[in-house]
Amino acid sequence: MHSQTLDHDGTDVFGFWLYIMTDCILFACLFATYIVLNGGMQHTLMLKDFVALPDILIETFLLLASNFTFCLAILNLYQSKLKKVQFWLMITFLFGAAFIYMELTEFARLATEGFRWDLSAQASSFFTLVGTHGLHVSFGLLWILIMIFQLPLLGISPASKRRLTYLGLFWNFLDIVWIFVFTVVYLMGAL
Amino acid sequence: MFMKLLFGNLTLEAIPFHSVIVMGASAFMLLALLAILFVITYYHKWAYIWNEWITTVDHKKIGIMYLLLSLVMLLRGFSDVILMRTQQALAGGSSYGFLPPDHFNQIFTAHGVIMIFFVAMPMMFALLNMVIPLQIGARDVAYPYLNSLSFWLTFVGAMLCNASLIFGSFAQTGWLAYPPLSELYYSPDVGVDYFIWSLQISGVGTLLAGINFIATIFKMRCQGMTLMKMPIFVWASLCAMILVALAFPVLTVTLALLALDRMMGMHFFTDYAGGNIMMYINLIWIWGHPEVYILILPAFGIFSEVVATFSQKRLFGYTTMVWAIAAITFLSFVVWLHHFFTMGAGADVNAFFGIATMIIAIPTGVKVFNWLFTMYKGRIILATPMLWVTAFFTTFAIGGMSGVMLAIPPVDFQMHNSVFLVAHFHNVIIGGVLFGYFAGIIYWFPKAFGFRLDEKSGTWAFIFWVVGFYVAFMPLYVLGLNGFMRRNFYYANEVYHPYLVVAAIGAGFIFIGILLQLYQVFISIINRHSLRDATGDPWNGRTLEWSISSPAPLYNFAVLPSVEELDQFWVDKESRHHKVSSQQVIEPIHMPKNTAAGFIIAMFAGILGFALIWKMLIPGIIGFLGVIITTIARTFTKETDYYIDVETIKRTQLAFQKEAK
Amino acid sequence: MVAWKRANLVRKLFKLIPFLAVGWLLLTLTGCQSQLIGLLNPKGIVAYEERKLFFDTLALMLIVVLPVIIMSFAFIYHYQISHRIQDYKPNWSHSYFLEALWWGIPCAIILVLSVLTWKKTHQLDPYHKIYYFEKNTMVIQVIALPWKWLFIYPEQNIATVNYLVIPIQRQVEYQLTTDNVPMSAFFIPQLGSQLYAMAGMRTRLHLVANEPGTFDGMNTQFNGDGFSEMHFTVQAVPDDELQKWFIEIKKSPNHLTSAQYLQLLKPSIGDKPSFYSGVEKDLFQQVITTYMTTFGTVHPRGESQKPISNSN
Repeated sequence: MHSQTLDHDGTDVFGFWLYIMTDCILFACLFATYIVLNGGMQHTLMLKDFVALPDILIETFLLLASNFTFCLAILNLYQSKLKKVQFWLMITFLFGAAFIYMELTEFARLATEGFRWDLSAQASSFFTLVGTHGLHVSFGLLWILIMIFQLPLLGISPASKRRLTYLGLFWNFLDIVWIFVFTVVYLMGAL
Repeated sequence: MFMKLLFGNLTLEAIPFHSVIVMGASAFMLLALLAILFVITYYHKWAYIWNEWITTVDHKKIGIMYLLLSLVMLLRGFSDVILMRTQQALAGGSSYGFLPPDHFNQIFTAHGVIMIFFVAMPMMFALLNMVIPLQIGARDVAYPYLNSLSFWLTFVGAMLCNASLIFGSFAQTGWLAYPPLSELYYSPDVGVDYFIWSLQISGVGTLLAGINFIATIFKMRCQGMTLMKMPIFVWASLCAMILVALAFPVLTVTLALLALDRMMGMHFFTDYAGGNIMMYINLIWIWGHPEVYILILPAFGIFSEVVATFSQKRLFGYTTMVWAIAAITFLSFVVWLHHFFTMGAGADVNAFFGIATMIIAIPTGVKVFNWLFTMYKGRIILATPMLWVTAFFTTFAIGGMSGVMLAIPPVDFQMHNSVFLVAHFHNVIIGGVLFGYFAGIIYWFPKAFGFRLDEKSGTWAFIFWVVGFYVAFMPLYVLGLNGFMRRNFYYANEVYHPYLVVAAIGAGFIFIGILLQLYQVFISIINRHSLRDATGDPWNGRTLEWSISSPAPLYNFAVLPSVEELDQFWVDKESRHHKVSSQQVIEPIHMPKNTAAGFIIAMFAGILGFALIWKMLIPGIIGFLGVIITTIARTFTKETDYYIDVETIKRTQLAFQKEAK
Repeated sequence: MVAWKRANLVRKLFKLIPFLAVGWLLLTLTGCQSQLIGLLNPKGIVAYEERKLFFDTLALMLIVVLPVIIMSFAFIYHYQISHRIQDYKPNWSHSYFLEALWWGIPCAIILVLSVLTWKKTHQLDPYHKIYYFEKNTMVIQVIALPWKWLFIYPEQNIATVNYLVIPIQRQVEYQLTTDNVPMSAFFIPQLGSQLYAMAGMRTRLHLVANEPGTFDGMNTQFNGDGFSEMHFTVQAVPDDELQKWFIEIKKSPNHLTSAQYLQLLKPSIGDKPSFYSGVEKDLFQQVITTYMTTFGTVHPRGESQKPISNSN
């Protein structure tokens, strides 16, 4: 079906890039909505009265660290050190899980303090934008777990390299989106 | 308590016992379903259906399934037409017709949703699936498993929309469900939820298909086929799929935000608490305008193929055609505001978008002239596909003209939301998209099924469709100029009455046209032996798909072709040099295995969608987990492909060559 | 062969169709002038301009569209295979001259249309006062309610439901918003443009009635069960008659108090016109402010997202 098997991987990664592009557009829409709904006069509770920037800084470092450890996993993959790959993937998972944990507790705190998603458009757009990113990260965490399980079955093979390439693209993409979230929502909005 | 977790808000009251028409439609649907299940069981065909169709990853079979889906949904969408036209022909002045407003409102909403999402889009994917891999000399699309998933997700979305006939009701908001009407406060029933989830599910399928075809066209063309040597249909489809990839995420987000408003009390588009309804309208049309170009571009591609083949002449201005398609693709993203000039954006913004809209008319017009001059000094064969092309020129020209008029904001201030607008978009969608797809279906039917469609009944179907279209829609232009608005189940001014009666008669003609099309298929199947296409090239075609047998073998090409120029197959025929020669070395062919994963994931997605609509917690969790677990399980599957051996291939090729003589 | 003969008949038959259609269209438009209630029977300067623009554009577009239609029939008829035309050029597919022609002429037409569009869009912008009638603008505040129209005359402190009386030869600025009903659109076809009305927002539309008469006004944006009957009557009268009408209305025993307004907020379909002398102070602004300042889970007009829909 694919006449040149080498091209098989090329086609597959190309397709994944296309998916990332569509995910980009998805986030772009959420950002646009956030910006539009946060413009103009706010007649009610505002994000900047509730946000704790130090926590956000820690979350950012957790995510950045997880990206770094993921890259270490990839390096070990190309050196065919399976156990090390699994190890660094697990560390990546832990950093990512810590990020999600902090984000969830932040949401819970905001909600109990009165800044709920059903209060206003501004609040809705905040929870949705940040929450969608968090949802993507959660799916990424699930994917990392599955890869840790699947690697012994696949071994160091074109298939495992391909799948970890996708995961790497996805994980890095989420980090880039987080930079925008950090800037647009927390820095620009909350300062 | 457990019943609430299981059934959510779904009770027996959800079944619309009070409406005879809806109960009748539901009963008809269930009977049809039972009949199909009975026939399959009676002829012991379950294994066949499962192995050959439900689990297939073959693009040709998936194309046929898309076509079947679109034709079935066309019947439902058209029954909506009959109801609406009858209501408007009967109501007026002192009469209120026979449909209560809440039923009428569901009908026009469902009509729009079904025709766009479950007739036009599947029909387009049917044609793309059947033709694209063949035209580029490939064995399948880039991701066959995703292809199957895309189809089944679309199917499930359509079934969810059909389920609204039996359980609950459909949205009463118009096909784009503008807020705040679609918000919980003004639409508390499940209708809008059906709208949201059937579109979300099929939307994911569409997006995946878009990615699939972009990758296929960029990465799987046969040797020598550079981008500028592809058939124009492939170019048109590529651009349409790029539009899909860019536009459908916007739809996904917009529907998701509306769902969050309705399910979690958020305020994206509510009319208070800071919600911004204008944001929804902007977002939905940023998707909506590219959507109509997604539909028309493949139709333009089909016209290029059909006109060149049936004029027996090279397509005029290939390079210009490609640039025109690219221009249309790009421009389709900068015109969306023309759908709501009357929302009060101010003169500068309105004028900009109006002018941008008119600019799109230029590359479109260029394409029309290129087709006309392909026919000039050709030798035109008036087979049925060419008849549809003839009708297209006039019909689309009129529709495009009314479009340019609507593109001028002050004119739009008068015509917006009137039936003039309705006439315009039906003019271009029927005259452009539908006529094009019909031409394509008849043109490629032999390649899919091995026999041609009957010409006589095809011609009569064509006559009734075209006459019916003009009789049904020209009165609407006049009515629009006289202040008759769309979506009215009743009108006080009886002046409108005679025009609406004429429009109803026109719809009747179209109905006869559809019946004749069904008859055409029926009679062609009966006469399939005399209509057999033995050579694989019934129309003396120009492109690669005509170089293989009809129907195409599972692997498409025994040996992948290589080309040197545009219309290589035609060039070879003219110079009597046969490219597909049996002297070439045949090797075992690597094919993907069938898989049930696509079907199963879609079924779970359907359960999830239904559960979200009715707030059924347990089914919802089952559906959600089912999707995730099946997806993960599929990644653990090791044997996803197999090889076809050389003997089988040689035998198939030999049989084809014998029959072709 | 049968197919070709039949196809010929088909083509002849349907060469006629566009002509029939156009002919019938013209026929219907020329007759019954007085019964025309839309763009084709304008009674206000904005509608006059819009009608002119419509026909000017039609003419410009026909320059391209008519040749296309004629060529499509001519070429298909002339070059069909049974005519055995000797002039067969199977590989001729390029001509700089022709390309220049059909890129150039449409570009020129669109250029003309673009300039026209820019000019007219600015001239006919709903927010702008109408040139020549700028002085002495009358303000009418419009609130779309379910499913009726409330008109408040702030200067005269009166209000009406589904009935508008306006002066001729004098500009009226309509300020639009909605309350307890989804987005609606205010439209008097014979006078001019339509404009959306949205909750929590104020849009503004300027119209002039040049001749006296009775016109139909309507909502064009579907907003629920009562949409079809959300029409209102518009009477354009000379100024002295208008003043007399004001005096009449002021004799009405009904006052548009808050309590009365809450009654109007309840959904109703096909209301007969009613009249109020005396309007709650700043009612229009209050309505807009209500939507702008309500937050949380309860709709300003509902108890906890309770519906207003009366269907199902």
